[in-house]
Amino acid sequence: MIPFQYITSFLLIFIGVYALIYKRNLIKLILALDIIDSGVNLLLISEGYRIAGNLPGTAPIYTGYETLKGVPMVGPLPQALVLTAIVIGVSVTALAVSLAINAYRHYGSLDIRKMRRLRG
Amino acid sequence: MSTIHTVLPLIVVLPLLGAFSSPILDLISRKLKEAWILAISAGTLGVTGYVFYYVFKNGPLLYTMGATNPFGHANFPIRIVWEIDMFNALMALTVAFVSLMAIIYSVEYMKRDTGLEKYYPLILILELGMLGIVVTGDLFNFYVFLEIMSIASYALVAFRNDTWEGIEAGVKYMMVGALASSFILLGIALLYGQYGTLTMAYIAYKMAGHMTTTAKVALALLMAGLLFKSGSVPVHMWLADAHPAAPSSVSAMLSGLVIKAGGIYILARILFSIYGPSINVRTVGWIVIIFACLTLIVGNAMAVVQTDMKRLLAYSSVGQMGYILLGVGIGLAAYGSNVGNLALAGAIYHTVNHALMKALLFLIAGAVIHALGTRNLNDLSGIAKTMPVTSFAFIIGAAAIIGMPPLNGFASKWILYESSALFNPVIGAIAIIGTAFCTAAYVRVIYTFFGRPNSLTMKAKDPGKSMLIPIIILTVAIIVMGLFPWTINKDFMLPAAKALVNQMGYIHTLFAGGV
Repeated sequence: MIPFQYITSFLLIFIGVYALIYKRNLIKLILALDIIDSGVNLLLISEGYRIAGNLPGTAPIYTGYETLKGVPMVGPLPQALVLTAIVIGVSVTALAVSLAINAYRHYGSLDIRKMRRLRG
Repeated sequence: MSTIHTVLPLIVVLPLLGAFSSPILDLISRKLKEAWILAISAGTLGVTGYVFYYVFKNGPLLYTMGATNPFGHANFPIRIVWEIDMFNALMALTVAFVSLMAIIYSVEYMKRDTGLEKYYPLILILELGMLGIVVTGDLFNFYVFLEIMSIASYALVAFRNDTWEGIEAGVKYMMVGALASSFILLGIALLYGQYGTLTMAYIAYKMAGHMTTTAKVALALLMAGLLFKSGSVPVHMWLADAHPAAPSSVSAMLSGLVIKAGGIYILARILFSIYGPSINVRTVGWIVIIFACLTLIVGNAMAVVQTDMKRLLAYSSVGQMGYILLGVGIGLAAYGSNVGNLALAGAIYHTVNHALMKALLFLIAGAVIHALGTRNLNDLSGIAKTMPVTSFAFIIGAAAIIGMPPLNGFASKWILYESSALFNPVIGAIAIIGTAFCTAAYVRVIYTFFGRPNSLTMKAKDPGKSMLIPIIILTVAIIVMGLFPWTINKDFMLPAAKALVNQMGYIHTLFAGGV
């Protein structure tokens, strides 16, 4: 059986791709990119999740509690990766928003159908 | 720790240092900052040259970040590794060389622009990202460097934000590039979920004999993302907008390097070093070949009808990427055979050659724009009279890209024709049709250059020293590389192709580990 968090993350990715294809407003496109990013991050972080019986995993820090109770630790690597990916996502979004501001200055609109002056 | 392990990290440390120290130096003096940037990029070229020499002499090189071996106390690699064989070393050298040329050129070309305290850091970060991509042996490390490179290139495309052109191209480039990056990250996440590691060589080791559907889906996603990034045909539209809109020194880097380091290089690495014989090489190889044939026909044909000089060069880049993809595709479809190795050697050779040729042509386009303020081919008639050096360099560059015999483009294209004809004559014919279109496009530009001068071109003159020196160096490089084609092919390109095909060697380098 596919865990539901995988389904959720692929659902988020599909929503993002759908919005990227069918929406015309630049801000909505930037939001779509963010949604795709969140979907991928959710997938990545849920890969590191561990559960033993009905005991959920703890944070990946040795405290002695895990060995005492036999509780699994969640994978630390995906968390590090997702932190990095979030930081990258934020910088892409920041640049995209600043481009959107500049585009509004030049075109007086955020409609990407208006941004068709480059041809050939 | 030997010398090479001390020197190697400087490949990314130097540009990073230069990027973030240059705004501070800018406060003191502009001349000092320019000297500092030039010293930094020359130093980077020196480091990559040393690494190339070392790998050429001693074989593949493994470097572990912050430790002596990648294993720690575990029996599998847990640390970030850099793995360098002939192929990466060659790419790193090309990247550092062309970046240095572009930076020398910018000193004069960008003089009239404002915001230079942002321009130089960005261009060094772009170089840093590409160097990082080509040296790394870790998938997530690759993704981080890819994003560093991509963000810097989005910002540089939209650098002249007072014009609508830069902004429109930047928005388009960014949307496509960010989507492609998300696909690549999704592919990496799936691979990590399947095999529980991010080290490329260790994934290859675990994948042999344990190919799963998830890994195939991951391959599809990675290929889709990387074909986006390398401007392959169904998704090439952003390239033709983005490359002309950037300042010419940046166009030279984007067209010459970014689509190769961030597209073809890593695609070849994933296809050969990670997947290799675990997948059905014939099927995947043919998929790449079909994309390649489309790319080289459409790209070159679209170049013929352009009236904007830089747009013509950008479409020609799409066409030349087709040749490189063709070599990679044949190398995969005929995996391990002599034809496959030859095609791959041709692809690597053409990657290096095209980096030099297209950088030269874009720098010349920049010189023309600098002198005349226009890049419409109809206004450039007769420029050969008033800009003789530039026009001569353009003829050399155009002849090389068409594949005229004494120049370097001939050697790589000949190897590609030969191997594709040996592999499948139909594909060889398609490759030659592509070249016919390419010739038509460039002959038109040369014809314009030698036409009757108009009032605008009569006033033009050759650019100053800082712009002329890189143009001359690149021209000389093209001529010299054309003089020894078979030596270069035998000593550098074929070993690079063999290093790429040798997946066992790639895995072995990791497990031999340590210093």
